[in-house]
Amino acid sequence: MLCGGERFDLARTGLARTERLNGWMFIMPALVLLGVFMIYPILWSLWMSFQVGRGMNLSFGGFANILRLTQDPVFQRALSNTFIFLIVQVPIMLVLALIFATMLNDSKLWGRSLFRTAIFLPCVTSLVAYSVLFRSLFLADGFVNDFLLGLHLISEPIPWLADPFWAKIVIIMAITWRWTGYNMIFYLAAMQNIDRSIYESAKIDGVPTWARFWYLTVPMLKPVILFTSVISTIGTLQLFDEVNNIPPNAGGPSDATLTLSLYIYNLSFRFMPSFGYAATVSYVIVILVGILSYFQFMVVRDKRR
Amino acid sequence: MPNKLNGLRTLVGAATLGASVLAMTSALAGEVTVWCWDPNFNGATMLEAAARYAADHPDFTINVVDFAKADVEQKLQAQLASGTTDGLPDIVLIEDYRAQKYLQSFPGSFEPLGGAIDTSKFAPYKVELASLNGQSYSVPFDSGVTGFFYRTDYLADAGYSEADLQDITWDQLIEIGKAVEAKTGHKLLSVDINDSGIIRIMMQSAGTWYFTEDGQVNIEGNAAFKTALGAWQRVLQSDIYKPTSGWTDYTGAFASGEVAGTITGVWITATIKANPELAGKWGVAPIPKIDFEGATHASNLGGSSWYVLASAPQKAEAIDFLKEIWASDVDFYQKILIDQGAFGTLTEARNGPAFQASDAFFSGQPVWQNFTSWLAEIPGVNYGIFTEEADTAVAAQLPVLKDGGDLDEAIKQIDAQVKQQTM
Amino acid sequence: MKNPLYLLQRALTYLVLIVASLLSVFPFFWLLVGATNTSADIIKGKADIGGALIDNILTFFERVDVPLVFWNSIYIAVTATFLTLLVSSLAGYAFEIFRSQVRERIFGGMLLMLSIPFAALMIPLFTMMGRLGLINNHLAIILPGIASIFIIFYFRQATKAFPRELRDAARIDGLKEWQIFFYIYLPVMRSTYAAATIIVFMLNWNNYLWPLIVLQTNDKKTLTLVVSSLLSGYYPDFGVIMVATIFATLPILIIFFVLQRRFVEGMLGSIK
Repeated sequence: MLCGGERFDLARTGLARTERLNGWMFIMPALVLLGVFMIYPILWSLWMSFQVGRGMNLSFGGFANILRLTQDPVFQRALSNTFIFLIVQVPIMLVLALIFATMLNDSKLWGRSLFRTAIFLPCVTSLVAYSVLFRSLFLADGFVNDFLLGLHLISEPIPWLADPFWAKIVIIMAITWRWTGYNMIFYLAAMQNIDRSIYESAKIDGVPTWARFWYLTVPMLKPVILFTSVISTIGTLQLFDEVNNIPPNAGGPSDATLTLSLYIYNLSFRFMPSFGYAATVSYVIVILVGILSYFQFMVVRDKRR
Repeated sequence: MPNKLNGLRTLVGAATLGASVLAMTSALAGEVTVWCWDPNFNGATMLEAAARYAADHPDFTINVVDFAKADVEQKLQAQLASGTTDGLPDIVLIEDYRAQKYLQSFPGSFEPLGGAIDTSKFAPYKVELASLNGQSYSVPFDSGVTGFFYRTDYLADAGYSEADLQDITWDQLIEIGKAVEAKTGHKLLSVDINDSGIIRIMMQSAGTWYFTEDGQVNIEGNAAFKTALGAWQRVLQSDIYKPTSGWTDYTGAFASGEVAGTITGVWITATIKANPELAGKWGVAPIPKIDFEGATHASNLGGSSWYVLASAPQKAEAIDFLKEIWASDVDFYQKILIDQGAFGTLTEARNGPAFQASDAFFSGQPVWQNFTSWLAEIPGVNYGIFTEEADTAVAAQLPVLKDGGDLDEAIKQIDAQVKQQTM
Repeated sequence: MKNPLYLLQRALTYLVLIVASLLSVFPFFWLLVGATNTSADIIKGKADIGGALIDNILTFFERVDVPLVFWNSIYIAVTATFLTLLVSSLAGYAFEIFRSQVRERIFGGMLLMLSIPFAALMIPLFTMMGRLGLINNHLAIILPGIASIFIIFYFRQATKAFPRELRDAARIDGLKEWQIFFYIYLPVMRSTYAAATIIVFMLNWNNYLWPLIVLQTNDKKTLTLVVSSLLSGYYPDFGVIMVATIFATLPILIIFFVLQRRFVEGMLGSIK
């Protein structure tokens, strides 16, 4: 309180103007760079989204691209795949991260930092490295099938990357493998902030572990859970690297792992270039992120205040 | 905006002075830059060509840059679209299926070569693929003439000789496959079940394609296409192949000796020969024929050609180089056939010793002469500009067909998707 | 305390953590084993140590100018990390410390920009680099990332934990704002910087799509691009790819091990 009062006094003694100036000075380098390297490309793509035509033979098409969206079965496939990844993978990953974080938050646990490092390790792998890894692990004669066959868990090799259903599963496993530890760190960090005395008194009152987790930990972590789900939502809606690199034919088999971001890439660089239509699809992602994040952010904000 | 950018450019320019000086020195040397995608194959042939040219032109230097094939295509497409010619190479290798797409969507970006190079010296179908409005734009590189590559030992164990594999149909192939598995335990083919390459082979063998000559979608109602897809569905539903996914898995299956063969383009030779312990155990037969009037045993899969960028800084030198080596040097084509298994399309080269020789690796069969005669029989088709889109649509239906899906329904779906994607 | 239920729960915890750790570490183990095997063995799923390690390393060094490529990657990642941390932490700090309505709006807009897929911005960005004369120049990779919205956001969150009393005290001592930032904020927040260092270094080191488009010659390529082009071709050599992949992963692992303690603390800071 005392500090707050002092600051108030300082502000009154005429430093407010310097603050304003400093505010801009500190931000200026970033703003200039963003202006050059973000605003111009964004305006360009916005303008492009109203253009139709092949390659560089473009003409103004008004809302033709939006109309095309509604009739495009491939777009709809990409949209539904993206949502499947979002709905299935994000909760699995976040729940796992939460479970690991809860376990590792126990100061009496032996080997904490060892486990923490191990589980965090996957997210430092380079994309190319991890694509190579997953692609070869899940080959028809690859290690995973050999392992499962050896344990007699399966009787014949699973066609991991050749089958539309299993390919989705591989992608989900790959993303989960890579990003669970990353999210876990956010939870672990937030758990450090929970007042330990609440736990202690709950323990003394005989509240069981699961109830402590459900009624104490989860509500207090809600803001962070929402924060991670916003980040994961953006990440999943932009999902490109994994689906472009892990399946032998990007987005395959039979478009089972085609995502919106990959479709944009195909429209721009693999197919007869339709840069205008590609830009339109990318604004679909922006709108989806906008809507989903808006709700998520609103909840975060309410809980934190 | 331009002014601001110029200001920044000066700033940045000062900061990169060191780097620019380096760049300048390499530019002065008149180096010809080439983009291609396989250092063991097309990259190696380019280096060989450059070495030959440099013998007469001591100032000539070449810079062969290799990226993954998809990466070359992406870089080219992004760069042509950006309108920035900085950093584009002098020569680029483009797969034939994609040639028209680039020529038509980026008009003026490629240099017409018809005037400088006598294209009549090459296989006509290759030249046609890279022609637009009466101009030809490429120096043809390799052919993708197809064959049925098989293990002579496995087939012999099952009671089939070379003669038994001539003039067969796809249904007969299924029977052979069953016999081979029953007698030897090996599957007949390695098949990437999500790849539509075989459909392209079958279509071209019957002289048809996804599109008509004038570029209209030609899928629903195309009897040859239906015959091809139906034949392939029967193969997919038979048990004669090992399903694989992706290149490594696909090639691994026959490189390891697990399966008895594959049906693909002649460029697979290098991959097959990469296992020297299997020398003398391989042979090549013509591909099966689809049951359609006018269908042949000859087709094409892939193949690519060299293009010169209109913006190339070393344009004249690049064209002269292509002309002197790639469009004339018969001996060069013998060398790359032996060293890289690159099956060139310069007609005269066919009379050279390497093309005439029989190949001990392929059980002493005159494989190169066979390929040469099959090459001459390949029906010409116009790949159009949307092959990639159509392939994707076909690939999407292959798992459905494999699971016993209705052929007509699948064709309807493919047709609808292609029409939508190409409007 | 020592009732059977507790022991069971304890055992379960260890079991879960051990399985999770093994799954996380296994691919690294597999990578190391793969580097010692020939390509053919790897494709067949061989999972024990082979004798091809030296061959694979030699082939890798023969086919790729490793020191040069390694230097390119290091140069880009280090320069980009340094500049990004400087510019983006300044901005993140200022967005939190010097609040104003206009800047809040700008901040909101920046968050929306974060959701535009990069594939949609690549072509105009390339056009711009062409005009700036930066094609095939490492600066074209470094410059667009320096003002990183994600890192600005991260620093803004982290700054919430920066004690205001420190800043006020420094001002009473007559320090200027930039002095406060460099002499007070920076040392106090070093754990946040450690975390951001790992993230930014990792992002730059692993960057693929944009360098692929901008870099045109072999002598400018980064390690990540090289690993990818090894994968192409008609018969990729998986043994060599494994070796290359280890080379590509090692620097981040080292940085992570060096900074990991601070990294966890840094994340703590950002949530407070």
